Amino acid sequence: MAAKRVRQWLKRRRMTLLDVPLWLLGMFAAVLWFAPFVWMVSTSFKPPEDVITPTVEWIPRTVTLDNYAVVFERPIFTWAMNSIIVATVATAAGVMTGALAGYALARLRFPGKGTFFFVLAASIMIPAEISIVPLYIAFLSVGFLDTYPAIILPMIPSVLAVFIFRSFFLSFPSEIEDAAAIDGAGRIATFFRVALPLARAPFIASTILLLTANWNVYLWPVLVTLSDEMKTLPLGVAAFSPTVGDFVRLEGFGPAMAAITVLSVPSLLFFWLLQRYFIEGFSRSGIKG
Amino acid sequence: MLSSSTGSRYRVRGARWRGERIDWSGYAFIVPFLVPFFLFIVAPLAFGVIVSLTDWRIAQPPEFVGIENYQRALEEPLAWKALGTAIRYTVLIVPSVTLIGLVLAMFVNQRWPGYGLARVAFFSPYITSATVIGLVWVWMLDTNSGIINQYFGVRIPWLTSTTWSWVGVSIATIWWDLGLAFVLFLAGLQNIDSEVREAATVDGASRFQAARYVVVPLLRPTLSLVLTLQVISTLRIFSQIDLMTSGGPSASSMSIVYYIYQYGIQRFDLGYAAAVSMLLFVVILVITIAHRRLIREQI
Repeated sequence: MAAKRVRQWLKRRRMTLLDVPLWLLGMFAAVLWFAPFVWMVSTSFKPPEDVITPTVEWIPRTVTLDNYAVVFERPIFTWAMNSIIVATVATAAGVMTGALAGYALARLRFPGKGTFFFVLAASIMIPAEISIVPLYIAFLSVGFLDTYPAIILPMIPSVLAVFIFRSFFLSFPSEIEDAAAIDGAGRIATFFRVALPLARAPFIASTILLLTANWNVYLWPVLVTLSDEMKTLPLGVAAFSPTVGDFVRLEGFGPAMAAITVLSVPSLLFFWLLQRYFIEGFSRSGIKG
Repeated sequence: MLSSSTGSRYRVRGARWRGERIDWSGYAFIVPFLVPFFLFIVAPLAFGVIVSLTDWRIAQPPEFVGIENYQRALEEPLAWKALGTAIRYTVLIVPSVTLIGLVLAMFVNQRWPGYGLARVAFFSPYITSATVIGLVWVWMLDTNSGIINQYFGVRIPWLTSTTWSWVGVSIATIWWDLGLAFVLFLAGLQNIDSEVREAATVDGASRFQAARYVVVPLLRPTLSLVLTLQVISTLRIFSQIDLMTSGGPSASSMSIVYYIYQYGIQRFDLGYAAAVSMLLFVVILVITIAHRRLIREQI
């Protein structure tokens, strides 16, 4: 009787008895993969004397918010505000310019289009790290360091956004736009009133990709921010690192874990809520700051 | 008079290109993208070539030195050491990410109970910032009190010895980067028609045989994409090193980009830093082109 029920249970889940060990192994790997986040949160709630224990303790013996108090002594809100400004402006500009250019590549006919597409495709091979020295010199010589434009401007152009919109419009029928054109709407009016509202999927995909990259970007802001007030969240939080040269301050781990909990929880929640869009978006290509 | 001017205006508006009417508004559509694209991607590349041929420091005006910076890069032992470390990172990280990513994607693709949660777990690290990765692994890999050494009952100095530092950084990087390989493989697996796999099973192939002879060959394009993306991203490694080891101890975990940063920018030796950047660019270019060739041959 019990055997039959087990068999039915397995069948409903498209498994055989032999799959069970594999399934357990896979789920164990998932738990293992997620464990660092749990360890981070667990440590963040521990008082200093409980952070280092002879055996591993996943659940804090006493829960304290002291580490968070230490974190909020620093200008966390200023850094968060900077990150919000930088990520939103860069993403909005990247998606909009990408949508316009992608639409032109898919729908409009003009001399030089082929060259434009070729240059774009070739530019994918230019990694951002190559440009940091010349860009640094340029921003230094115009006296732009430590400002929002210095952080944001180089992050704006996104070839990936162009390609995502181009491939969407190439496979999307243009009848509705043609109807609007017959009604006398110009190309630009047609784009904003008809085409863009229809391009929901590429809009979401490119927004998610760019927002993640722009929220996490590290190298370029490290170079161009000088003052504490201009730091973005990943930069500001990095200062909680307990490593000083080769020396590690052990009492610093509590606040450090609290700081990165504050930093990571919003993006993790955002991902969990919009999981499907994230996975779809990222499976189109890979970018990271 | 009136009619002829109307006529000429009409001719411009109705101009043709390759037999089709030209949409002049096309330029209005691409200009907002083109301006920042040229200013921040194309121009810096050209300017970088110029900078790499000069002795460019902040205090004094730049001085043309020809290929001296490139010669210096090829003679500098530390530059070679950074290249060697970069190769070590590639040899450890790329196969690990690819293999683990493929196996985990195959597992999640079975859609057994809990696959949704497993998918979240495997992808989560990828969307968090370098700071999170760096700090959490500095804590977990701590020699005396880190959870890894505690569980294995060892005292490996993961981040503080010249033998282990690059391994410690690699572990954190594998955890961080796996998510992308994982979703790319997952998308690739979903594209393979389930009928193909069923046909193989009906023909008497075991699940392992079906995976080996049916799924893996069909996954080739994804595999090649993952490998290329991962090689390039490993060559570009920077932030986790800055956060975990600052390239040390004794430059044992220093990548090429970190070398550019530390020995070029922090010491304001910008001409030299630009030259090393160009050399890195050439390496990445060769890998990308080789990848394209490979793809074309397969098709």
